[in-house]
Parts: sequence; C-alpha cells; structure tokens
Amino acid sequence: MANSHAKKRTMLFDEPVGRKRVVSLTPLIDVVFLLLIFFMLASTFLQTQTLTVITPAPDDSEEVDTDRVVIELGVHTDGHLTLDGSTVSVAALEDKLKARIKESPDAIVSVLAEKNAEVQPLIWAVDAARRAGADTVSTSRVGSVK
Amino acid sequence: MIDFDDAPARRPYESVVPLINIVFLLLIFFLLAGTVKPTEPVKVELPVGEVDDKGGLQDFALYMEADGFVHFGEKLMDAQMAAYMLKEDIRQAGVEKVSVNADKGAPAHELLKLMEGLRTIGVKQVLLVTNRGDDGVTAEGATP
Repeated sequence: MANSHAKKRTMLFDEPVGRKRVVSLTPLIDVVFLLLIFFMLASTFLQTQTLTVITPAPDDSEEVDTDRVVIELGVHTDGHLTLDGSTVSVAALEDKLKARIKESPDAIVSVLAEKNAEVQPLIWAVDAARRAGADTVSTSRVGSVK
Repeated sequence: MIDFDDAPARRPYESVVPLINIVFLLLIFFLLAGTVKPTEPVKVELPVGEVDDKGGLQDFALYMEADGFVHFGEKLMDAQMAAYMLKEDIRQAGVEKVSVNADKGAPAHELLKLMEGLRTIGVKQVLLVTNRGDDGVTAEGATP
C-alpha cells in the first residue's frame, strides 16, 4: 500500500512540466508610449532665470546719496533707449555704460520708464546695466524722459 | 491557366524590438532633459534677458498679463492694488521673496507699480522671471 503511494507520487513528479506562457510585452509598450507622450507634452526645455530689480519704497527716497553720479537710462514708449538723453541701441548699450561706469565706478544707473513703455525694453536696460557692472541699478517710472 | 492554389509569398516578419528601444530611449531623454511645466494661471510670454541672479523660482509667483493685470491663483487684480490685496496672503505665507512673471508686452509702469507696492508691504526682494536668450539683443523689437 505504502509502496503504491510512493509510486504514484513519483509519477506525479515525473509528469512533463508545461511550457511557461510567454508574457505579452504589448501592455508594457502601451504604458511606455503613454508615459512618453505625457513627458513630451508636459515638459519644457525653456530655461528661465531671475533678475532682481531694485525698486525703492517711497520712504527710502531720503537715503539716496546725492553725491553719487547718476546715469540716466531712459526707456521710451516706442521701445528705444536713451543714455543721458542720447539715443543708444540695445547692442551698444552695454559698452557705452561700461565706459561711463569706468569714469565713475560708484555711479547709480537710474532706469526711467516712460508711460506706456513695455517690459521687454525695461529688462534690456536693467540687464545691460547689470552686465556693465553697475553698482546700483534703480528703476522708476516717469511721465516722459527728456 | 492561372494556378489559384499557389499561396502568396509571406512578407518577412518585422520585429518591434528596435521600435521599443527607440521609444524607451526617447522616454529616458524626456525624463532627464525636460522639466515638468508648473501650472500657470495665465499664458505669459516672458521677456528675454541674460543676467541670472540665481534667485530660483519662488513658490509665491505672480503673473502679469500683457494688459497689465496681475494674477495670483484665482485672483485677478489691478497692478496698483495687487500688493495690498495680497498683503494677507504674503503675511500668512511668510514670504520675503516674490517672483513676478510679467509678459514682455506688459506696460513697464504697471510692473513698477506692482513692485513698489510689494516693497511697501514688506517684500524684501522681487525677482523678475526672464527667458534665457543669448541673442536677446537681436530679439524682435530691438531698437536700432
């Protein structure tokens, strides 16, 4: 009796093992495609950066050192820029400012935005002043730049 | 006589494995090279600039549309009043730095009004967000 049991068990183990089912890759590929589409649509390659601009609060106005040379940089309504009253191109602004700052290294660059001037020329002006090595770049709004 | 019994020539089987490889590579590229866009309440076209103060993007970000109106979350405000309307939010969040995403076509006066207001209510630093542009000088709208 015991022998026949053992024989049966042995026979069970001797049965050929069925071939493993091949796992389909299709759902995986579907998910990968979906992930790819998601990242393609949701990601951006534009590099943003930040620019700090000094805007004095109204009560700070008394603290301005009047002995320092002030370089006036005008941002006009039509988008053109002026350096101390004379028109200057965006490309040449940095070099001209560098020359001015070399003459008086502690000069304050005051960016004056005219009414209806846009943000982009204002950013160009501040950007150029910062690149030229200005110690202090301040911004203010005026009705019109002389 | 035409022999209809002839089986048509079978097209050779094309493996999809190279396709999957490419898709995987593209997925990895987008995962590594791209950054997921933060949700923006409004569409703004950022101005181009070169200087980077490495201020990083702040959690407290305001958006200024081309018409000069300021958006923060669901709020839509006039630039002059925005700082005062946001005073309580800024106090609760305990922020000292605020980033402003202003449209490049927005009025500069409105932006300056907003910044003045922010300074008045105690914001220490206002960071203007710009797009990196190496040829910013030659960008459209550049003055002669």
